[in-house]
Amino acid sequence: MTAIAPGSEAPRDPILRVTGLTKEYHDFAALRDVSFDIRRGSIHGLLGENGAGKSTLVGLIAGMRVPTRGRILLDGREVQGLDVKAAEQAGVFLVTQEPMIVGQITVAENLLLGHWPQQGGVINWKELRRQARRMLEGTDIDPEALAENLSAVNRRKLNILRALFSGGRLIILDEPTAALTVDDRTVLFDFMRKLREQGITFVFISHYNEEILDICDAVTVLRNGRLAGSSDDISTMNSARLSELVLGRDLQLFERRTAGVAAPTEAGFRVRGVKAPLVDIVEFAIRPGEVVGFAGLPGSGAKEFAQTLFGLNPAETGVMRLATDGGETPLPPGPPEALARGIAYLSDDRRRDGLVASLSIGDNLSLSSLPVLSRLGFVKRRAEAGLIRRYFREMGVKAPDPAVSIDTLSGGNQQKVCLGRLLATKPSVLILDEPTRGIDVGVKEDVHRMVDKLTQEGLSVIVVTADLGEMSRVVDRVCIFSGGTIVETLHAPDITKERLLKAAFNRRDARALA
Amino acid sequence: MPQPQPQTRGAGGSRGALRWMLQNVVWLWLVGLIVIFGVLNNFFFTVANLQNILIQATVLGLLALAVSLPLLVAEIDLSIASNMGFSSVVGAMLLSGTHLPWWLGMLIGIAAGALIGLFNGLCITRLRMVSLIETLAMMIILQGALLAITHGNTITDMPMAYDWIGQANVLGWPVMPIIFALALIAVAVVLRATVFGRSVYAVGGNALAAATAGIRVNRIKILAFTASGFLSAVAGYLLAAWQMAITSNQGAGFLLYAIAAPIIGGVSVFGGRGRVIGILGGVLLLTVIHVGLSIVNVPSFYVDMIGGLAIFVAVAIDAMRVRLSAGAA
Repeated sequence: MTAIAPGSEAPRDPILRVTGLTKEYHDFAALRDVSFDIRRGSIHGLLGENGAGKSTLVGLIAGMRVPTRGRILLDGREVQGLDVKAAEQAGVFLVTQEPMIVGQITVAENLLLGHWPQQGGVINWKELRRQARRMLEGTDIDPEALAENLSAVNRRKLNILRALFSGGRLIILDEPTAALTVDDRTVLFDFMRKLREQGITFVFISHYNEEILDICDAVTVLRNGRLAGSSDDISTMNSARLSELVLGRDLQLFERRTAGVAAPTEAGFRVRGVKAPLVDIVEFAIRPGEVVGFAGLPGSGAKEFAQTLFGLNPAETGVMRLATDGGETPLPPGPPEALARGIAYLSDDRRRDGLVASLSIGDNLSLSSLPVLSRLGFVKRRAEAGLIRRYFREMGVKAPDPAVSIDTLSGGNQQKVCLGRLLATKPSVLILDEPTRGIDVGVKEDVHRMVDKLTQEGLSVIVVTADLGEMSRVVDRVCIFSGGTIVETLHAPDITKERLLKAAFNRRDARALA
Repeated sequence: MPQPQPQTRGAGGSRGALRWMLQNVVWLWLVGLIVIFGVLNNFFFTVANLQNILIQATVLGLLALAVSLPLLVAEIDLSIASNMGFSSVVGAMLLSGTHLPWWLGMLIGIAAGALIGLFNGLCITRLRMVSLIETLAMMIILQGALLAITHGNTITDMPMAYDWIGQANVLGWPVMPIIFALALIAVAVVLRATVFGRSVYAVGGNALAAATAGIRVNRIKILAFTASGFLSAVAGYLLAAWQMAITSNQGAGFLLYAIAAPIIGGVSVFGGRGRVIGILGGVLLLTVIHVGLSIVNVPSFYVDMIGGLAIFVAVAIDAMRVRLSAGAA
């Protein structure tokens, strides 16, 4: 079970030592006998699939939960059994994915929230501003700005600074790069490195091997609630090794092979003269069974063009033509028309506009097919049950049955439901917007394999993703966007991460991803 | 790929029983009150009183259904009670000035109510007005219009045939509750079995996701408001026929109870959750409190206060239920 990298020895002066940590719920162990050290002044990566025990582990460290067995030593002193407040007093802070920021007040007020300097109940604004300005020194954040106007990366910084202001020495960051652009990620990482030099220790949770390898000094991998491996020296690790530890087997990363597939030359789907906000495309065509990647910085038009095809960013001008129904027609004005024409779109943000959390898995699966499943406005119950059963099974959703609320599923399984909903509409063009964001490595590969299989049946697929490693493995062709147009196209054998980086991003971004 | 998830234990032991009780709190509360009122005054258990309760529940019940549809799509309609008064007076005034058949007056009144709902829906979707304020303004407009039309007088000159439904008995049973039962069944079938009903839950649960899934969100909301106006107007006709009169503030006092009933019955104020059976429970509970308090001779000065307290307790228990089930998830 243990896969501690050879040559690594326990650090002499750990800020945090965890030994034999176990957390049991009823008859289920969320965490089993986990031991590791975190070196003072390091950035320590924590990697693992959803349900591997990462949240449980950091929850125990941050005092949100009490361990069933085991010890947590902070600076060599026993601290298990502390509550959140006591843990924070000891200097341990958990910064969650949802930044706890009050949007309507200034950055300075947010920074000192709960600790506003006051005299007899009256806030000492001068002192507040002075302290805030000192904290923000060296950042580009304006203490007087309204917090809601901060960029995503500055919100992350603000949260970290707030923890530091309250005396934080060990800061746990739960997926801080989710929803950050490549640029922002670099900025955040530079910020973390600077704080590391000042002696701050970070625990950094991420789904991305590349990020762990880039920013971390050490790493701990959890699998099924157990320690899968740990290394005190990140330079002994590589991405393949990390994936192997996460999944517990030699992971066969999916590689799309197009050479064997006879490529039909006729375009299955073609659009011309498309103008929409941030989009200006003269012509774009995709063959049946082809997978085309859209790459580009935020605002380059890659995502916007994909959404225009589905009617989410409605086109001002432009026509489309599907091989299946012949004539040229205007682009769909909205999602209902797009779906009716056989164009389906997987949202990049499941929680915002993907799933309906209050509904069951089954209701989410059939949602886009209701018009087809109905007669005179009434849903045909048996036909719907059949469709739900079919896609519940085909997508391999891990749940006892489709009547269960979708809220109980892991991110990866929710994504499978969203994808199943689209496939149930029998599309001929499938647009996937960041299809594997925030889901586990294992489910990621499942999604790629599923999509690959569908292309063999003639489905055309458009993938928009910022994960260039993923892009290079799953597409036949990449269109690189800038200023709303396609500026470069790469074809299958030539699509490598390095080429993509060079084509799409400037050198500073490239450093962050490479 | 194994993905261990914390197992939720089957409902067993006292905790399971407690949860069951909280899930069905409306009905337990209802049974408890009926027993208490019955013990205090035996008249409460008579058929005549039961019929009275059901008649009183009819108008409130239709209004509660009218409130629920906008609530389910995560909006609110405050104009339903004043729509009830206004739409009925439109029909009645037409009848008093002309020789129109009574049913035409009734239908025009109901159509007026539905049109008001449609207008609300258009304002909220196309003009993006906030439903809370738009329908509040509509409520005040309609209240004022009712007063202006009636000049403060009570209208009682509706034809006998118009009033029939409020007084009639079929096989010894009043007709009003039958209309209520039909409305409950109709709304339940629409919500459960039609594309519209299923879309209502999706729009209320997550409007953005529903739109991306191909549902015409605005159309669903407009339909929900139109149906709401329609049901309010039907309630307005029944109230006028039952009272055989339309006062210059007809419908006043119904709004807050009509909002409380579905929420007590489990309709979420945030949209997307709620069932017709719960709405029925909420309506019966409020009606039993109201009728019961007057039957056990609580002085009328105290009825509102005690009724309010009972609602407060019901909502407090419901909040406990939500907290308990959230803690279990």
